[in-house]
Order: sequence, then C-alpha cells, then structure tokens
Amino acid sequence: MNYLRRIFLRFSNLFTNSKAEAELDREIVAHLQLLEDDFLDRGMTPAEAHRAARRAYGGVERVKQLHRNERAYQGLACTVMDVQYTLRQLRKSPGFTLTAILMLAFGIGATTAVFSIVEGVLLRPLPFADPDRLVILGDDLVGSHWDQSNVTAPDIRNYMRDTHSFLHLGGYQRIGLELSGDGDPIHVGATRMSGEVFQTLGIAPLMGRWFTQQEDDQHQSVAVLSYGMWRERFHGDEKILGTKILLDRRPYLVIGVMPRDFEFPLSPGHVNNSKLWVPLSPLPAEFAAGYAASWNSRMVGRLKPGTTPAQAQSDAQVVADETMRNYPGFMRSIRIRANVKLLHEDTVAQSRPLIHTLLFAVATVLLIACANLAGLLLVRSIRRRREIAVRLALGARAAMLLRQAMVESLMLSIAGGLVGLAFAASCIRIGISLLPENLPRIHEISLDWPVVAFAIGLAVLTGLVCGLSPAFAAIRTSVNDTLKEGGRTGTLGSGHGRLRSTLVIAEIAVALVLLTASGLLLRSFEKMRQVDPGFRADHTLSAFYDLPQKRYATQSAIDAFTDTLLRNLRQLPGVKAAGISSLLPTGGDGGEIAITVEGLVPQKGTGLNLVTLLMVQGDPLQALGIRMLRGRFFTESDKADSQPVTIVNRKLAEHFWPGQNPVGKRLRRGMPETPTPWLTVVGVVDDVKLGSLDGETAEQFYQPATQQVVSEGAFASAGELAANSGYIVLHTNTPPEQMENSLRAAVRNVDPQLPLIGMQTMEQLISGSEAPRLFNTVLISSFAIIALLLAVLGIYSVIAFSVALREQEMAIRMALGCQRQGVLRLVLTSAMKLGAIGCLLGLLAAASVSHLLRSFLFGVSPFDPLVLMLSAGVMLSFALAASTLPATRAATINPILALRGD
Amino acid sequence: MPSKENGQMQLLQGTLDLIVLRTLASMGAQHAYQIASRLEQVSNNLLNLNQGTLYPALVRLEQYGWIKGTWGKTEKNREAKYYAITRAGQKALGEETQRWKRMAGLVEKLLIEEF
Repeated sequence: MNYLRRIFLRFSNLFTNSKAEAELDREIVAHLQLLEDDFLDRGMTPAEAHRAARRAYGGVERVKQLHRNERAYQGLACTVMDVQYTLRQLRKSPGFTLTAILMLAFGIGATTAVFSIVEGVLLRPLPFADPDRLVILGDDLVGSHWDQSNVTAPDIRNYMRDTHSFLHLGGYQRIGLELSGDGDPIHVGATRMSGEVFQTLGIAPLMGRWFTQQEDDQHQSVAVLSYGMWRERFHGDEKILGTKILLDRRPYLVIGVMPRDFEFPLSPGHVNNSKLWVPLSPLPAEFAAGYAASWNSRMVGRLKPGTTPAQAQSDAQVVADETMRNYPGFMRSIRIRANVKLLHEDTVAQSRPLIHTLLFAVATVLLIACANLAGLLLVRSIRRRREIAVRLALGARAAMLLRQAMVESLMLSIAGGLVGLAFAASCIRIGISLLPENLPRIHEISLDWPVVAFAIGLAVLTGLVCGLSPAFAAIRTSVNDTLKEGGRTGTLGSGHGRLRSTLVIAEIAVALVLLTASGLLLRSFEKMRQVDPGFRADHTLSAFYDLPQKRYATQSAIDAFTDTLLRNLRQLPGVKAAGISSLLPTGGDGGEIAITVEGLVPQKGTGLNLVTLLMVQGDPLQALGIRMLRGRFFTESDKADSQPVTIVNRKLAEHFWPGQNPVGKRLRRGMPETPTPWLTVVGVVDDVKLGSLDGETAEQFYQPATQQVVSEGAFASAGELAANSGYIVLHTNTPPEQMENSLRAAVRNVDPQLPLIGMQTMEQLISGSEAPRLFNTVLISSFAIIALLLAVLGIYSVIAFSVALREQEMAIRMALGCQRQGVLRLVLTSAMKLGAIGCLLGLLAAASVSHLLRSFLFGVSPFDPLVLMLSAGVMLSFALAASTLPATRAATINPILALRGD
Repeated sequence: MPSKENGQMQLLQGTLDLIVLRTLASMGAQHAYQIASRLEQVSNNLLNLNQGTLYPALVRLEQYGWIKGTWGKTEKNREAKYYAITRAGQKALGEETQRWKRMAGLVEKLLIEEF
C-alpha cells in the first residue's frame, strides 16, 4: 500500500512542483536559521555564524536537486513540461489545433466505427463454448454449385451414428411454424434440431433445460424458447415452463428459455432469427424417396480434442461413401463429398468481401487525414523556423526539439482519437440500422474495449507517423542560414517543399482510388436498375402462407382450401389476375432439382442438370406479368390425372434445345435412372430474376402444383402432400396497398386462424432486394466524398502556404513587369502539376486494387474508361478549384506593400 | 564498502531511513536540525553527514506515510517543520528493525566463517 501511495505521490508531485519548491525553500531557510542561532549562541560573530551554518548544512542547490529526485519522477518532469509548453502553443493557434483535431477525429472515428464492425463480425469468437472446435459438416454435391454444405435426413442419421471424430454432432433445419393460442396466430422462424446440437454448442439455458437426444429420438413434443420470444409473446412470464403452446396447431411443452444472446443458427442471409427450437424427430417419410434426396438440413459438431477438421473430414467421407453405396437406384448417379469446415469460417464467409472493402475505404480516408496532419505540422514547423533556429543557437539539443515535436503531434492525435471515438460511437448507433441484415451477429457490434484500444492505438500511431517527418524537417533547420535571412523571408529549402508536394500527390492519388471505386459502384447500381427483371413490379401484391399439417392432413383438404381461396381472390373487385407460386421474384432461387431431358445423353462427368422449379396454381405468371414467348399458360384442365405438362424459361430452352421450338419437347425430374414420367413442354416464358437483380438468372421450369405428386414418380413418398404453402400473387387495378385488407379478409374467410406472412407489394420487395448494393454504393461513395474533401483541404492548405511564402517573389515578379495573369498561371500550373502526377499515380493504384472491388461490380469492368476518366477529371478540377483562391490572392498582391513589409 | 579516512563512516544504503524513524519513535516530534544533531551525538561524530542529506530521506518517509511534517515554533519562537512518526511508521519501524537484525546476523555469520 505504502509503495503504491509513494508512486502515486511521485506522479502527482510532477504537477504541483512550484508548491513543493516553495515548501522546501521555507524549510531550508528555517533550518539554516536554527543553525545560525546555535552558532551565534556559541559566541561566533553573525558573519561567521552565517558561514558556519551553510558549511554544516552542505550545498543548498545539491540538496534541492536530491529532494526533487526523491520527490517526483524527474525523467517525466521534462515530458510534463513539454506537454504544458505544447498546450500553451496550441492555445495560441486555435485554428490550426481545431482543424488538426477535427480532421483526425474524422479519420480515426470512421476507422474505429468500421473496425468495430469488423471486430463484431469477423474477429470476435462465436458466442459458444470453446468455439474453435465447432464445425459444420455437410455434403458437397458433385456437379452442383451450392456453396453451403447441406445434408439430407438419412445423412444426419448416418453421420451421427457412424463418425468417430466428434464429441457431439447433430443436424438442424430452419422451418417456419404457426404459433397460435393466446393472441393472434403468428408465423415464427424456428429450427428443428437434434438434441445433440445443444450439447455441441454448450450454452446453458437461462431457465429450465434443453431437450436431449433421447427426447428427440422419442419424438417428444417439447420446445425451447428464445429470450426475445419469451419476453415479447409471453411477457417474460416465469411460469411459462411446463405450459403448452400450439405450434402448427399441435401442443408442445415448453421446457426451457435460452439466454438473451443465444442465437442459432447464425445463418447469413436470414433476417429472422430462430425464435424457438423443437426436436428434429425426423418422420419415416423423410428417409424415403424424394426426401432422401433433399439436401435441406445442416449439421454442426464439436470435434474431439486433438482431432483436426481434415481428419474429421476423411472420417466423414468413409460414412459418405457408405451412404452412396446404399443409395436407391434412382439416385445412383449422385456423388457426394463430405465437407468439414469451421463454424466461424462458415458464418463469416459471405460478409468477408464487404468488410475488406470497408476496411480498405476507411484506411484510405485515414491515410489522407494523416497526410493532411503531417502537412499541417510541416507548415507549422516551417513557420516556427526562426524560433527553432534561435533555440538551437542558444544550445537546445536536437533530441529535445524532436521530443517536443513528437509530443505536439501525439497530443493532437490523441485528442483527435478521443473526439473520433465519440464520433464513432454515434456512427455505430446509426450504422447498425443501415447495415445489410445479412451480416451475421449484427447486434453484437458495439464500441467496447478492444475497439477503444484500437482507436487509441491508432491515434498514437498516427501521431508518431505524422509527427516524425515534420519533426526531422524542423531539427534539420540550419541555424546560420535561417538567422542570416534577417527580415527577408527568402525561398525555402527545397527539402521542405518536396515533402509537402509528396504529401499532396499522395493525397490526390489515394482519394482518386476511392473516387473511382465509388464511380464504378454507382455505374453498377445504374446497370442493375436497367436490368429487365422479367416481371411487372407495379400493381402487384404478394403474401406467403403455410398450411399447418394438423388441420390440412390430406391432399383434398389442401386442394379445397386452395380452390376456395383462388375463387374468392378472383372475385375481389380490382383484381385482374390471382395465383399462387412456390417461389417469388426477389425471394431467391430456392433449392434446385435435377432434370433429365429427352434425347440428351448425359456426358460422363458433366454432373447434374440442376435447375429451379416453380410450382404454380391459378395464374401467378399472368399476375406477375411474366411474358409468354411461345405456347400457352397452364389452364384448369391441367389436372393430376391429365398429361403432365411444364413451361420452361428461355434460358433453359436455349440450353437444351438451341435453335429449336421447345414446345412439345419432353423433360422429367431426376436423373436418367430415376423412374419419373415425362413432362411435355407447353410454353416458353421469358427469364425471371428470382434473386437480386444483379444476380445470375437460373434455368427455370414451371409445373402445375396439381401434377406435383404424379411428376415425382418414385421420388414421391407415400401420402406426400403438395401445395401446402405458397406466395399469393395479385395483379390489381388499384394501387396494391389498397388491396391488403381485402386479401387478408379473403384468406380469413377460408381459414380464420391462418396467418399471412410478409405481405408486400412487388415494388417494396424489389427495393428491399436492391438494399445491399445500395448500401455498398452509398457507403463507398460517402467515403469517397470524405476523401475528396480532405484531399481538397490538403491541396488548399499547401498551395495557400507556398503562395504566402512566395509573396515577395511574386511581388518582385510583378514589380519587374509580370502581369497578374502570369502570376495566376504560375500558381495554377504548379497546382495542376501536382494534381496530374497524383491522378496518374491514383489511376495506377486503382488498377492495382481492382481485384478487391471486382466481386461488387455488376456489368462494369474495373477499368471502365468512362469512370476512370470522369474520376480523374473530377479530382483535377477539385484540385484546380482548391488552388484558385490562393492563386487569386497571389495575383492581387500589392507589390509595394509586400516589398516594404517585414 | 566505501569508507572514509580518519575513521569516519559512510552510512549503509537504506539505514538512514531506519535511523530517522527510530529517532522520531524514541524522541517524539523533531525538526530536521534536531534529527541531524541527534545523529551526530549518537555516533560520536563518526557519522559525518551534511545536514541537508537528511532531506531526501524525510521526503521519502513522508511519501510512504510513515512520518508526517507540520510547521511549528521552537522555544526561541523560530519557525521549524516538525516531523512525527505515524502509526504506519511505527509498524514499519518494527518490521524494518526485524529485517535489519536478520540481515546483520547473516552478514556477521558470513564474515566470521570467512576467517
């Protein structure tokens, strides 16, 4: 304790130095007085006594120094003095101080905000116990281009039973469930999962317990709620445990509530988190026929200690080989490869390019801010050249001047860092609401200790880097030359000038890189807006429904619902066309299925023909305004027992029947060995963008939902139900928003309990699907604007300063007959020279980082000449504009005043 | 061990603090001059130190919180800063004395064995 107290006092005494000195003086004077008194008493004369007292005491100055060393950390005392000196200096030039701090705050703030996103999304460990051992296990389907490794129900059983590398391993599948009971029925995002999954993740429930693998195997109807679900729907009622809730109109026992930050699956691309978890409990049907070939689930596992993902993968491959050997005949040609990857990898994979681009953009802004600060400091040190020269002449050591310069830049940068932190905090608050929702773990983004440490570290680094070169420039000051210049401010040493020009050129170059990036993204956005989506967006309303199996257990019950609903919808006033589709544009391609085309012998090794399938009822193609190119739409007469028919899109037709009339051709579901009936093509429609507008168009084919089971042949499982969910699509005469209530009423009329999910107009859906690209574009563009402004500021300050330094030179030129235009041209030319070199370097830099951007571009080459030329043009004209003001000032110098001055 | 000619001794490092504490503990509050006089008296002038040398020790002890200085008046109505030992100082004195004794015993043993 006492030692700590002393350390603290030795620090604090640094700042109360004058008080301690006064106290010491007083004590020494008193001491000497007492000594003198004694010597006087012994009979000395006053003069002798005075001398004797001093002798007995010892050297006063030496004692004082010893006292100081003991009292406070003297090594730091100089630094404290430097700080106090710097504070005085900065107070004297508030304009410079404010500009420097704000500029840095900007750079550091933006960098910190982005870093906190990176930290939250990429760096922070997953919120599960020992997350480095968690892996995703799945199949890569040879010949498909899925990037998510999914599994089938038999896979889950086989992998769980036969692998040996996992401590725990379980399967899960995202589903939607209808939650009814107290309050309006709602549709909630949920996850079916093996009991093992909870053990794998190792997060204890907040209340109650998990379900076990045994309960999963025994098909127990139990549910675990998320914290949000528990608070919102059940008002945080602690008595919820042991009560029953209705899911898809079947009772489930609530056995647990998970903690607030528990989130699983952490799936990118899904806006709705899982609100509750129920046992996977696969039905017998899921192991048979078509289900066995549905890669619709995922698996998560915890590796045994000492097992690497690669070892686990070869272990799983053994099981996968066995699974393939046991495939029924109709799946013979499917090849799977087991794939084990870290859960963390899987979670962040999709957001990595965006985050790298963000980091790159802010690093650029920070670089420019640094260059500006360095420029400002340099200009400042040049202004103080006289003072520095005098101090050097009086014996100041270079190390001391260097230290002072560093202290100054560090203080500026740390102040900038602190202001920047405040700026970042508000940025993050705003930013989270703007970030695309497919960033995983978005709610974990916050300003916390690692982020704060990062910001301060960045500030210190910035201070050191920015301070160094001006500091060295300052101490290189030649004392003699500077002092000899007397009153006249001559031209400066070329070293300083070159350094300043370099800074400006670097700023221009770096800003131009961002400017081109932003230009390219803007062009991409424009290109995306021009894409023909293949459907009509206006006057179209859609909503999703999912019939609970409990109530709609037979195909006839489902069909009765659908028929009544479609009839009611068509009778609504203002409805031009109504239909139901299994997929909706902007909703994504959904899964893909394999098809076989008549007369086309598959080449060995070409893999599967995977295409997108849309099941339709009523007239969704007409309601969406999808253009019929050839043949006919489906009609009422395409029934379950009539000839199976299909409509294909242009891309599929051109792939399989190039240059021929596809109408009348035949294709069927599955692989060649799968016994499925032929479907006759009755129509060809235009391609429809099912994903985002800047995505690929898939090969698509449409089938009447009534013929689903027939067309599946051997894939169809016993008692399989078709068309129990879908998107209702209405084409309306009136603005579609006005039809929302009529649509709701029409559905309630058929089933009063059925919730409608995500009712939106097509226009709303499209703008939603454009959001991620819009976000990237706005983000990069705003960084580019910041960069441009900072660069302009830098150019302005440097040109203005050099003009001020050359004032006399200009005056002499004018006195010797140079025209004002000449002076103007002189200044602008030097600015343009810097601008041109900067732009050239910037274009080269932009080309070298183009690979970073390539994945974000759409329909535009990273070397698009128009964008490159425009950006360079904008940059140059801004550089010119920034130097116009100093140039005009130079041109309006009154030579007589300027020469007389000083 | 540095030693001075004519039989005078230089203080071992760290012992000055102990001596000052001990002096204050036995004699009550003292000013710097009194402490210095007491040192000279006890050591029979063998310890020749400038009185100012005490000051670093005093500031150190005060920062540890072992002594506390207050301004007062001498009998002759002169101003002086009186230092008094604190409760923490008493405790530290006990501990330091023990340590010193152990140390001295050890050194003595070593020196005897050497011969």
